[in-house]
Amino acid sequence: MVLPTHLSFKKIQMYEKYPKGQARGRHWKHLKQILQAENYQNYPPDELNYVNIESPPSMHPCKKICDITGFEAPYSDPRTNLRYANAEVFKLVRSLPNDYVQRYLALRNAAVVLK
Amino acid sequence: MPFISRINRQSDYNIFSPSTPIVIDNGASYFRIGWAGETDPRVIFRNIVQRPRHKVTGETVTIVGDHDPGLLKYFDCTRSGPRSAFDSNVVYQFEIMEYILDFGFDRMGAIGSQIDHPVLITECVCNPVHSRSKMAELLFESYGVPSIAFGVDAAFSYKYNQQHGICDKDGLAISPGFSTSHVIPFVNGEPVYKGCCRTNVGGFHVTDYLKQLLSLKHPHHMARLTWEKVEDLKMEHCYIAPDYAEEAQLFQKGGKEVEDKTRYWQLPWVPPPTEEPPSEEELARKAAIKERQGQRLREMAEAKRSSRINELENELNNLEFLLQQLEQVEEKAIPSFLSDTGYVSKQEIESAVLKVNASLRKAKGEPKQAENEEKADASTNGKYPLINVPDNLLTPEQLKEKKRQIFLKTTTEGRQRAKQKRFEEELEREKKNQLEEERRLENPELYLEQMRVKYKDLYERVEQRKRLKTNGGHTNGNNLSGGVGRGERLNAAQRERMRLLTTAAFDRGKGEDTFGARDEDWQLYKLMSKDHDDDEDGADGDETELARISSRLQEIDPTFVPKRESTPSQPSAEVPRIRPLTKEDCQIVIGVERFRCPEVLFCPNLIGIDQVGLDEMVGVSLRRMPSEDACLVDRLTSSILMTGGSCLLPGMGERLEAGIRMIRPCGSPIKVVRALDPILDAWRGASVYASSLLFPQQTFSKMDYYEKGEYWLRGYQPRYSL
Repeated sequence: MVLPTHLSFKKIQMYEKYPKGQARGRHWKHLKQILQAENYQNYPPDELNYVNIESPPSMHPCKKICDITGFEAPYSDPRTNLRYANAEVFKLVRSLPNDYVQRYLALRNAAVVLK
Repeated sequence: MPFISRINRQSDYNIFSPSTPIVIDNGASYFRIGWAGETDPRVIFRNIVQRPRHKVTGETVTIVGDHDPGLLKYFDCTRSGPRSAFDSNVVYQFEIMEYILDFGFDRMGAIGSQIDHPVLITECVCNPVHSRSKMAELLFESYGVPSIAFGVDAAFSYKYNQQHGICDKDGLAISPGFSTSHVIPFVNGEPVYKGCCRTNVGGFHVTDYLKQLLSLKHPHHMARLTWEKVEDLKMEHCYIAPDYAEEAQLFQKGGKEVEDKTRYWQLPWVPPPTEEPPSEEELARKAAIKERQGQRLREMAEAKRSSRINELENELNNLEFLLQQLEQVEEKAIPSFLSDTGYVSKQEIESAVLKVNASLRKAKGEPKQAENEEKADASTNGKYPLINVPDNLLTPEQLKEKKRQIFLKTTTEGRQRAKQKRFEEELEREKKNQLEEERRLENPELYLEQMRVKYKDLYERVEQRKRLKTNGGHTNGNNLSGGVGRGERLNAAQRERMRLLTTAAFDRGKGEDTFGARDEDWQLYKLMSKDHDDDEDGADGDETELARISSRLQEIDPTFVPKRESTPSQPSAEVPRIRPLTKEDCQIVIGVERFRCPEVLFCPNLIGIDQVGLDEMVGVSLRRMPSEDACLVDRLTSSILMTGGSCLLPGMGERLEAGIRMIRPCGSPIKVVRALDPILDAWRGASVYASSLLFPQQTFSKMDYYEKGEYWLRGYQPRYSL
């Protein structure tokens, strides 16, 4: 739904706050920056905050599943780093273009990232 | 079963007194707003904003929530995708948040100069104070809200279900949300944040995983797999396997059960038009037309032939008449007589008669007289009587005649020899064919194989030669004009000629010109001549052999297809056929993905998030509890409430129970229940909470906010049991 530009119930209208045609830098912070600015290290460590309620890594061994089919994957291809379930999938893995390999790897956050 | 947005503008804003709070469940996926005390939120829409430009005017407009696809006609959405105010589960872009609040209040029917109602708005557990204060500031400054209360959605949901007897005052809330999942323990109806934990995985990740997997599997249909569609697919088809490994093995083995479990999404597909073989009538009609055309052509040819015969006969008559007349004319008068007929002598007329006779015979289709003559001549050797007579015995006329006879004899003999040779060749070929036939009968397989090999060899050789000759030339080697522009490629022969010409030119220039002193020098011109281009003695043999073998192969091998010329002279009629799309090509198969994608909630490792899954989170949460009271832990695990959108996935309860049983000691009481409505219960709980008489004590005003400062806001915590 298209929003009207002027709303009677607002004390400060959008166009007053963010005037048109005026260049404005980024006026917001990413979550990472917000958390950094919170300065959690200045507070007692047992005090709760957004960061320390996060779950720890799992104690169970990581489940290895085939990147392509989702079956259990006993093997992994040293060339592409993809995990695969059987010879048939291996053929497919080797025939995949690098673009697709990287996208499959990116699914589990294992793709090569150039910075 | 997608969620339906409810965005009709409400008209009863006036009847609510300023003390009635407005309740907002500000979820990362959906925004719900309504009046405290009511059972359902008034307005629900997706928590996203899009700011496309108008295609004509270039004006930027703000579209909040799901938009009507019809609007896309007028707006250019390519530059700006849908944006959310959330990073993970924390609000960070307050400009977007403001658009959303604008829209929410507008749909509530807000009038007047400000929002004159207390606001209860949900936030995430342990919201960073920056986000909280910005939100408070926004509500106070832009909307003139008198007072605000913040609360956690999962806590409201737990309280609501506690009131309805679904769970006890001590228990756990498992809340897999949109971008994060929480487990929050409750003791005496109050959340114990000390024991809570958060894993950064939620419904968003499930949908995204499904979307990525499907678009990797069906790259051609990537455009069809929009976020909204995949979300619908997830809600309709995904389930949580009781045991992932077992289910995967089942799918790996395949079978009837798997077939039943596999879902297919059929995309629109139009079957290609089937070409029906032409009917009998059609065939007959076509044959008739062809027959008629043939008839007409034959008639035309016949008419032409008869007219020609007529013409020739007339000419013959004329000539004969002329000859007759000539006989009556005196010898001396002949030239003057002939001057107006166009002939010079009687002989010429006679030869013309012969010629006309021959063409007449040809036109009438009679066999050539010459052949008969030849046969007759072959036997009689006395046709050339003058040949063996020595020259000195002959008169000059006879000498001339002798020359003619010698010439005639040699030509006829030559013809005879050629004929003989042809005959012998025929015999040879016959013999060869017979031999081959015998070999074929002996071992057809081997023979066929040999033939194929031979064919291939020859074909390659011929092709190779062709390539060498053309050498990539653009005109297929028959560049007859010879005008080769600069930079254009020449074939091998042309190049050789060029080389010879240039070297010859150089030789001229230096010192004494010795060209022509030796006889070999003159050979150069022969080499230079253009006629030299095609020396195909070897090639010819190969080509005829190739043609013979390919015709032979065609005879005996039904599967044989002669290879096409590499450069067909005319574009062949048959275009490479494209395989028409079948029904299966337009299907999106959802098999393993049905339970593979929701598995990320239990195993965030699958998508590279190194945190515990939902079942283990319970264990983590219990460990984090401040008091190690075994009784309390048992009480907590016997009242586990599932809330949040992802709890709607079938199999969630069973899987959670099994998972928690694994981490708890044997015999511990475990009871997992699902919230009455995992999606709306948070809002409903908040609505009940806000309608309580004690609610105003939990709120803070603008004055409080500015007087007490940020540090106080950090510690702000409402009491949930009122």
